[in-house]
Amino acid sequence: MQMEQIINESLIDLNLEVTTKDEAIRALTALLYQEGNVSDPDLFIRDVYRREAEGQTGLGNHIAIPHGKSDAVKITSIAVGRTKHDLAWESLDEKPVHFVILFAVRNVDKTTVHLKLLSQVATALADDETLENLLFTNNKKEIIQLLSHQMK
Amino acid sequence: MKIVGVAACTAGIAHTYIAAEKLRKGAEARGHEIHIETQGTIGSENELTSEQIAEADLVILATDIKINGEERFKGKKIVRVKTATVIKSPVQFMEKVEKSLANV
Repeated sequence: MQMEQIINESLIDLNLEVTTKDEAIRALTALLYQEGNVSDPDLFIRDVYRREAEGQTGLGNHIAIPHGKSDAVKITSIAVGRTKHDLAWESLDEKPVHFVILFAVRNVDKTTVHLKLLSQVATALADDETLENLLFTNNKKEIIQLLSHQMK
Repeated sequence: MKIVGVAACTAGIAHTYIAAEKLRKGAEARGHEIHIETQGTIGSENELTSEQIAEADLVILATDIKINGEERFKGKKIVRVKTATVIKSPVQFMEKVEKSLANV
């Protein structure tokens, strides 16, 4: 399975100039919109916040994974952003967030390939060393590689 | 110990898989053998076999929602936990489970 089906370097911004959670979600949604993966940013953002209302998406270790399952999503994919600013975010360890992975999920997918790739990304995030590397590398290719955890 | 478990979160997109992997790491770090089934948007993966369930000393349900097939674990020792707890501190969670079993 190829991670390139759900992420590419245009969907990664390692110098996000944002200072709030809302700005981060909007900036990453803009990337997904530019790539044609999301057709209606406002609708998508509404669905992201609907998921936010169900429980915290901050994983701890400065990483958050907001996600939206939405009619506005054309291609199930992810956008990745990092910022040097402290973002206040509902999180398991209450630390500020610096790294955001926004999951955009189609309401109906014809195949499960993209969803499987997303679950692979989620599995990769269970590794503390991976999380640390995500916070420090400036190489977008390495980011994609770090997120491409191979299922055992 | 031999452990089987199920991970399932509300959206079934991300937390399910993080919790499953953390449980696996936590249990292995404590020297246990573990099989974890995930129930997400894709459906069930790594589905537990009846043999694995029969052999298990313990069932861990790391779930935020009602799961499919809970009746498979009837009569077994079950520990229920939210996905957030195992994501936050998998090893401590396993240690706590071990202690509670030792006290029975």
